[in-house]
Amino acid sequence: MTKKIVFVIAFFLVFGVTAPSHGRVYIDIDSPTIQKFPLAIADFKNLGKNPDKDKLGTWFPDALGKALQVTGFFTIIQRNAFLEDPNQAGITTDSIRFSDWTGIGAESLIKGGFQVNGKELVAEFRLFDVIQGKLISGKKYTGKVSDRKDMVLKFASEVLLQLTGEKGVFDTRIAFAGKKGQISEIYAINFDGSELTRITNFRSLTLLPRWSPDSREITFTSYRDGNPDLFIMDMSSGRARKISGFSGLNLAAPWSPDGTKILMTLSKDGHQEIYVMDFREGKARRLTHNYSINISPTWSPDGKRIAFVSDRAGSPQIYVMDADGDNQRRLTYQGNYNTSPSWSPKGKRIAFEGMVNGSFQILSIDEDGGNLAQLTTEGGRNESPSWSPDGRYIAFASIKNGRNRLCVMNANGSNVRILHEGMGGYANTSWSSRSNLY
Amino acid sequence: MKRNLVVFGFIVVILGLGLILTVGCAKKVVKETAEEKTATVQKEAAATPAQPAETEEQRLARENAMKEAALREEQERERALAAQKEKEAAAAAMAEAFADLRFDFDKFDLKPEARETLKKAAAYMTANKDVTVVIEGNCDERGTVEYNLALGEKRALGAMKFLVDLGVDKGRIKTISYGKERPLDPGHTEDAWAKNRRDHFVVTEK
Repeated sequence: MTKKIVFVIAFFLVFGVTAPSHGRVYIDIDSPTIQKFPLAIADFKNLGKNPDKDKLGTWFPDALGKALQVTGFFTIIQRNAFLEDPNQAGITTDSIRFSDWTGIGAESLIKGGFQVNGKELVAEFRLFDVIQGKLISGKKYTGKVSDRKDMVLKFASEVLLQLTGEKGVFDTRIAFAGKKGQISEIYAINFDGSELTRITNFRSLTLLPRWSPDSREITFTSYRDGNPDLFIMDMSSGRARKISGFSGLNLAAPWSPDGTKILMTLSKDGHQEIYVMDFREGKARRLTHNYSINISPTWSPDGKRIAFVSDRAGSPQIYVMDADGDNQRRLTYQGNYNTSPSWSPKGKRIAFEGMVNGSFQILSIDEDGGNLAQLTTEGGRNESPSWSPDGRYIAFASIKNGRNRLCVMNANGSNVRILHEGMGGYANTSWSSRSNLY
Repeated sequence: MKRNLVVFGFIVVILGLGLILTVGCAKKVVKETAEEKTATVQKEAAATPAQPAETEEQRLARENAMKEAALREEQERERALAAQKEKEAAAAAMAEAFADLRFDFDKFDLKPEARETLKKAAAYMTANKDVTVVIEGNCDERGTVEYNLALGEKRALGAMKFLVDLGVDKGRIKTISYGKERPLDPGHTEDAWAKNRRDHFVVTEK
């Protein structure tokens, strides 16, 4: 990610009571049945003398509403329901009639103002608890008018931190393999579906992108030289080099959480086995010893265990083993086709792709095999799940009525959102870590 | 800076388009002129007077020559036809020996028909020592990319092992798996899937 944030937080506004960070969780989004949280966003006030020629007064609430809507946790109350007289009310606690907002069902309110001076922009954002009638958080940002979306995402992240206890994932990217006819390339797209970029230009079958934990490098498999070889690319220079080119499959698999090792699948000995390669040693160590298929490994967040796929019992199923290959045990027993495991970065849950009544769906299961849940129910096929770094969302590839889509849903399967559609196919989603922009 | 580059790019593209248009027009003009010329030449040819009549001897000789030429042509046609038939028969034999091998969903074991095909392939390779093959393992679109890459590889490796067991030198066979990435039939029906679960042979004759 090359985006630079050129503004800084000028100061933390302290008006009356300042709620301690994560003092109270307003929305428990990890509960399996969450209600959407009703939020109102008032038009922003022009606090300066210059006219609002960019229509920021409505742009700010619209952009903020869109960003928060994407999270799937909020119902943004429509502007035409508002009771407040915008000419009478201000943006500070003592100038707001909170009954105007509780009256329309809001539980939280965002207000703000801005000043434009040439290309310079100062914007203030305030989040209120309208039921208790108090300020939860206030921020003031200075920067260029052209940086206003960054300001919005930064405050949206702050709203999430205050209301849910964890900041957002607006600064994450989702990598995937995008198909065009017989070839595919690696692409990445923002969490909100903006800024699609092509990462590789190998003009061959290129698959399985896997971010390094710091998102500065990416590994993938490409048929560029005729064999499915494993490459690593430096994201800033765009330079790629081959790190595994054995005869047969050299399949990219996740990095260890500390970034010192990668998992991979090699078939150089005539059967697919899982290996771990330590970058410092530069040598691959074999973890599975089994003539059946062993593939698609994923680390537990502490790096101590690995979930993977094997057909050793006659059909593809999810297995778990220790990081050194010991204690291999089967995790899934329901259905006869379970593949593509992805371990939640918050632990405990493993998402995977399984065949349910003849169609492929995303499911999740506890790491000890309990609490199996089917997350997608739509017709068509849903494949290759990947967790967001906060463990709250799952990206996946979907095909329905012949239409291919890249989607994101909340971890409980609700709020399915299309990130991109129209390519010849989407596969192998991989969610980057946060780049700490917002 | 970036915007400047984009603007510059636009200018280059527009200039380039202009150039293409200019060149295109120029070519058209030249061609039209040439056609006009040809028409003029043909008109002139039609205007020249006919040749004087040939003698009887000349006529017989000409007819004889024509008959002989026709005979020769006939023989050549027959020879070409035979060669063509031979070639087609060889191609048919090769196509039969290296026909796609079909598989069941999520399976890589060789079916009886696949074994029969592979026996012919082994015989062909034994008879034609300069033939090498690449076996491409493929799957239908259902399931994971990775698992299908493994499954496709199992399908290709299984066929290779069968050929090697029948005495074909392993050095003459290569395998590659495309998993579900290169379907023969892009459809989403049971029929399309059945076609796509296959080992495909790419045969090279040195």
